This record gives sequence, structure tokens and C-alpha cells, in this order.
Amino acid sequence: MKNVRLFYKKGGRMRFISHLDITRFMARIIKRAKLPVWFTEGFNPHPYITFALPLSLGHISEYDIMDIRLCDDDYDIEKLPETLNAICPDGIRFFKAAEPKLKTAFVAFAQFEIEFDDKGELLKPLSDFLKSESIEVSKKTKKGDIKTFDVKPKIKDFSLNENGNTVLKITLPAGSEENINPELILTAFFGSGVTNYSCYTVTRKSILDKDLNLFE
Amino acid sequence: MDEKRFEQLLLSVQKPGRYSGGEINSVIKDKNKVDVRFAFCFPDTYEIGMSHLGMKILYSLFNEREDIWCERCFAPWIDFEKVMRENGIELFGLESREPIKNFDFIGFTLQYELSFSNVVNMLDLAKVPIKAKERTALSPLVVAGGPCACNAEPLADIVDIFFLGEGEKVDLEVIDLYKSFKEKNGSKQDFLRAAAKIEGVYVPSLYDVSYNDDGTVKSVTPKANAPKAVRKRVEKNLDDTYYPEKFVVPYIEIVHDRAVQEIFRGCIRGCRFCQAGYIYRPVREKSIDTINRQAKALCENRGYDEISLSSLSTSDYRNIEPLLNELISWTEKDGISLSLPSLRIDNFSDELLEKISGVRKSGLTFAPEAGTQRLRDVINKNITEQEIISTCRTAFKGGYTAVKLYFMMGLPTETDEDIKGIADLAQKIVDEYYSLPEKPKGKAVNVSISVSNFVPKPFTPFEFWPQITREEMVRRQQYLKECIHSRKIIFNYHENRTSFLEGVFARGDRKLGEVIIKAHEKGCKFDGWDECFDLDKWLEAFKECGINPEFYANRMREYTEVFPWDHLDYAISKDFLIKQNELAKKAQTTEHCRKKCALCGANVFGEGVCFEKR
Repeated sequence: MKNVRLFYKKGGRMRFISHLDITRFMARIIKRAKLPVWFTEGFNPHPYITFALPLSLGHISEYDIMDIRLCDDDYDIEKLPETLNAICPDGIRFFKAAEPKLKTAFVAFAQFEIEFDDKGELLKPLSDFLKSESIEVSKKTKKGDIKTFDVKPKIKDFSLNENGNTVLKITLPAGSEENINPELILTAFFGSGVTNYSCYTVTRKSILDKDLNLFE
Repeated sequence: MDEKRFEQLLLSVQKPGRYSGGEINSVIKDKNKVDVRFAFCFPDTYEIGMSHLGMKILYSLFNEREDIWCERCFAPWIDFEKVMRENGIELFGLESREPIKNFDFIGFTLQYELSFSNVVNMLDLAKVPIKAKERTALSPLVVAGGPCACNAEPLADIVDIFFLGEGEKVDLEVIDLYKSFKEKNGSKQDFLRAAAKIEGVYVPSLYDVSYNDDGTVKSVTPKANAPKAVRKRVEKNLDDTYYPEKFVVPYIEIVHDRAVQEIFRGCIRGCRFCQAGYIYRPVREKSIDTINRQAKALCENRGYDEISLSSLSTSDYRNIEPLLNELISWTEKDGISLSLPSLRIDNFSDELLEKISGVRKSGLTFAPEAGTQRLRDVINKNITEQEIISTCRTAFKGGYTAVKLYFMMGLPTETDEDIKGIADLAQKIVDEYYSLPEKPKGKAVNVSISVSNFVPKPFTPFEFWPQITREEMVRRQQYLKECIHSRKIIFNYHENRTSFLEGVFARGDRKLGEVIIKAHEKGCKFDGWDECFDLDKWLEAFKECGINPEFYANRMREYTEVFPWDHLDYAISKDFLIKQNELAKKAQTTEHCRKKCALCGANVFGEGVCFEKR
């Protein structure tokens, strides 16, 4: 038995496909590729697949991770990206296959890049907003209540640039322990009455461990 | 609209995957290198349309041709429709995202009457004039096929061409004819007249309909040498009929997310309420080799873990057990489960049960359709109570604990005794379970009865009968509820208001076209969806058009009446239907096609069950 970590990018028309649908899609791809995958041994056997960090619907990802388990210890995993890409739509591109270095439980942060379709107009107001003492955001809890909290201390790092449009780079807690979706902050920003401009694209650039090293 | 803005708007609606396209096996072509662009429209949501086999077949068939690019198009859900209208997005093909109004063909599949308002709404969203006569250019041509084309009259003023019967050949013949007209800049009028000469093509504008004082049809007169009656098309040999090797694999969850393998068309049974049992005649089977080869190819190309054998009555396939053996020899190994919908009670053997349950145990569903033997004889559902009980016993012994039974209410000659019979039958099944020493240990039985409202349909022996009124439907549902005493029995019933509207359109005439357009203007759409259906708006539309809907749904028709669909020839003779109806009144059954030919008329095609060796 051999654990394999597959790294891939998700974009194009695939960004409209939810995490739940992606899990089913990946199971199908693995089946079509006829990989010697290990099946779970429950009442309803299915190929063992886990994802390091689910991606929100609509977000693009340049760094997504999926783990599978192969029965054949001698299987040459180098060729896996090529094999899988051949049967995947353009929106999913595998770029690496390797043995996992850390368990998925050690995912701690994610880095996002958000590009606004604003011709730079938001640069100043967004900068002021992110520099304020506290940033109140509201989140729906699993119980369905609305929880309000200050997200400011949780922002690990951010920077703003302009390339014709405003570009925000931001690092936020991610993983099973604490997860902050950048949309929370954007909603708070646009909700704060600064502007009602809401055309932006969120790209997840990387997944990091607790020391801000690339999660591999 | 630029791609970025479009995608941003997509993110503001639920399930954007319905509109994003780009699925595996979807077909992208260079639009400059094709001659004909075809928008295959399913007038319901993506999830429903993508489960439909006919669309998969025709989509692949059209796209195999280099000169045709067929794209898919579904009815946008109300949230996206709002976004489209607010932002000036016209209805587009999923593959190219280009407006379908610029396509050569806009083709609808008409699977149920309650989708008629969506047909109109989709044309409106496409910014295409709704009425056929307002579209004067050769393209886009609005065409339609599917079971509801057998009484297409309510859409006769809207659709240019109806395809009757099976589409594999006739659709391409019409497309080829169109190509020649497009090249020589021919007129729409000339094209339609030429198309009407192709078998299976019904051009409603070439027929004048006159009415009697009482509102019934007096006569239907063809013009411009159009045939007096249009005969449906059938595929003669299914082993030679095109079947796709790949289906488009959706990303989002759809209703039936599995490989579908067709095993035969038509049905030998002749249940008198069932339109499909008549309009798809004669029965034609695929050989075991063909089925096995096609099923293998499908699984290869899809990565699916379930394959469903599709037909109107799967256990009527003559060699069902050898077929299952053949399929199981490779599906089991590959972890693919087989599902067999549409099994009949009477030939459901122990071995068959063993074979399916060897793969995966799912629920068991039967359709006795009526509660008493008398009524089952009336509708020619040739099964006995004993058979139902014994099949359930077999299933219970095999480990099943849930049984789902389908019934209909409002069948011709139905009395309260027949209604009570439904409850009694369910109770007997519950009792049977508890009397079995071998029943699954520690588990309760669950008998669910689903009761739908009978809607009389054209080309069935019951096409003459009135549908019971909505008030009477409610009373009978209530009565049945009172007859059920066990908590092991779950009773589901169908909304009476939608059944009524379905009853109106099923046997409607051309006058209803105005009503559909009026109802559309009032905002009617997705009538098959409880959260969208609004009967009051429909009733207003009927009133404003001066039309009494009960005239269509609740009226007894004479044998001598000219029906709006009489000029559509489905190779089922009216004499045969009258004879069958008379037998029904006497509760006399008719044997199925393989036992004895009942002389329905379907043998004119010279193929299928009519010519099998007995």
C-alpha cells in the first residue's frame, strides 16, 4: 500500500463545480484511469480519496491537494499527472505526484490573491479598511446562528498592489481547526458602504503549514 | 457579454454548474467549419434534462457529423432567468455560450405536457418570436419531437416542424434538406412544404382545422400536397441503430447519474392507460451481443459505477437471464452495479432477484396500478394479487424490507371499493412480511404506496374517457387515507391541480396555443414544479381566451368524434382502440403481443415482435 499526494490546479469552467461535485468527479477520473486504487472496506466500497482543503465554489486554485492510496507499491507515480490530465477537462491540471510529507491535519494557512475588476479605484478604500483596528465579520455557524467576530487579528499577512486593477494578497487561517474564507472579509468590506462594486476573482495561490512553509 | 462579467453573474445564482458547460465528452467545434448549428433544448432543468436518454443519443448522433454542431440548452432556473433578463443575456448553447437565436435549428424534446410553458418561455428568453408565422426567415427553425408530439396541437402555432416517432433518421433527413435550402437561399415556406414530404415530419401550418359549434374538431384539411395523415418513424433494426459510446458526464448531481443501456423499444403488454405502451410499438429488441458491447463501451468512457438497463418493461426482454449473466461476468469484477428499473411483477423470478441482489441491494418497486382484480382487468394490467404477494414474499426472503407500490386513481369505472382495495393490498403485504419466519431479523417492513392521478392520453383505449374532476380526486385521496390503518404503510399522493392541467393539454387542440402564450405572459413556467406552479394564473388565462379547460379534461368523447390528433398516424388503429375500450368496460383482458396478436396495426412496419417466431 502506498499513499500518494496529487497536486492540481482548478480553474476555467471547473470553478463553478462545488467541492462535493469535485469529489465525485475525481472518483470517476480515477476509475477511468484504471489506477490500482485501494477501496474502502465498508458496506459501500469506494476508492479512498481525501482532500487537504476544500475550495469554495467560484474560487480558482493554483494549489489543490488530493490524497489517494494505491495497492501496488511499485507503481510509478511520476507519470500520474500526465495520465490523469489526458482524461481531465482543461479546468483541472495535475502538476505533481509525490509521497505526502505532512498529514492533512497539519494544514494551517492558505494564501489568496484577489483581483478586483475596478481599474484601481478600490486600492485606497480597501487599504484603509484592512488597516483599521478591527474588522467585524459575520459568519453562519453550523447550528445556523450568526456569529460576529473580529477577523483582524486572524489576518496573518496582506499586501495590496495595482496592475491596472487592485490586487489583494492575503494569508488566512485554513484547515479543520480554523478556517477563514476571504469572502467573509470582502462581504464586510462591500457591506461597509465604501462601494457596491463586487466584481472580483479569488485565486488560492498556496496551502501552508503552521510555519508558513508550503504544505506538501 | 464578456466572459468575465458572465462568469461573475453565474456566481450569483444557485448551482452555477447548470450553466457553465465544459463537461467531459461535451462537444466543442469551430463554428466556422460547420454548416448547421442545432440547439437541443430540454424544457426543464439541467438535472432533469441531462438524465434523458433521447437527448444523449441525438446529441452524439448529430455531432458525429462534421457539418453539424449540436449544443445543449436547458431551461434556466428562476434565479438565473432573473439575472439573464436583468443583464440582457439571451438564451445560449452550453457549449459555445452563444445565443441560440442565431442557430439554424432550435429543437425541443417534449417529454411531458407540463413543460409546454417552458418551451414558450425559452423562446422568449432566446429573443425569438414565439409564433411560427412571426418567424419569416428560414432560420431559426423551431422543431420538436418526443412523446408529446403525438398530440402536438397545443403547440401547433408555435412550432414549425414536429418529428413523429423515433428521431435517428428523420432528424438528419430534415437537416440535410435544410442545408440544401440554406445553400440556395430558399424560403421557409418552400422548405416546410418540401420537408412535409419526408415520412415522420408533421408541419402543422400546412393543415387547416375547422370546428363544430360545440367546440369539437370538424375536420383537418391538408394544404400544399401535405400528406393527409403523417406516419411516425420507427427504427427497424435496433442492432443497426446508432447508439452513442460516450455520454456527456455532468459534474453536478443529476437525477439519474449513471450509464443507461437501452435494451429494447416498445412494450408487449398493452396496459390500457399507458400511452408509451402504444406509441412506441412494435417491440424491437437489441441482441445480447449488441447490448453487451454498447454497455462495455459506455462504462469504459464514463467511469460510472452504475449501469441501468432501460426499457419500458425490462423483465420482458426474452433472454433476460442470459443477458444478465453476460453483463455480470464483467460488471462485478469492475465494481459496477446493475440496476433494472421497470420490472414486472409476474415474471420476477428468484434467480433474477438473486442476480440483482448479488450486486447491490436497493429498494424494490412494483406498479400494480389498481387496488382490485376487477380494475386491474379493466386496465389490462395482467397481474394477480397472488402474484404481487408471492413476489413480495420472494423479495422479503431475499432480505428486502422496503417495497414501493405505484397506483393510479381516477381510472375508468373506478369505485370506492377499488380505492379501498389499494389500502387492503398494502395491508396484506405488511401481514405477509410478519407471517414469514425467514423475514430479515429485527427490521420493520416499510410499504410505501404512491398514488398518481390518471390522465387519459391520446392513442390509448382510454382516450375517450373523462378525467375525474379535481374535487373528486381530493375526495378519493381522502377516502384512501381513511382506509389505511397501519403505520408501516406510507401514503404519497400527487397534486391534483397539475394533473388537471396535464389532462387539459394531453388531449388539447390548437385553440390552446393562445392560452399557453397568455399564461406565459402571466409568468407561468416550470409547471411541473410545486414551488412554481400557479393554477390560478392558468385559470385566468383560460378565461381571458374564452376557453373552458374542463371541455378538454372532463368530457366523455364519442367514438365518432374527430380528435385533434387523428391526422397523426402512430400505426394504432382507432377501431382497435374502440374494441379495447369495449373490452375494458366488461373487465376483459387482452393477452400480450407475444401470446397473441391483438391486431393494433403496428405490424405495418414489417419488423419487431409482430414477426417473432411463436
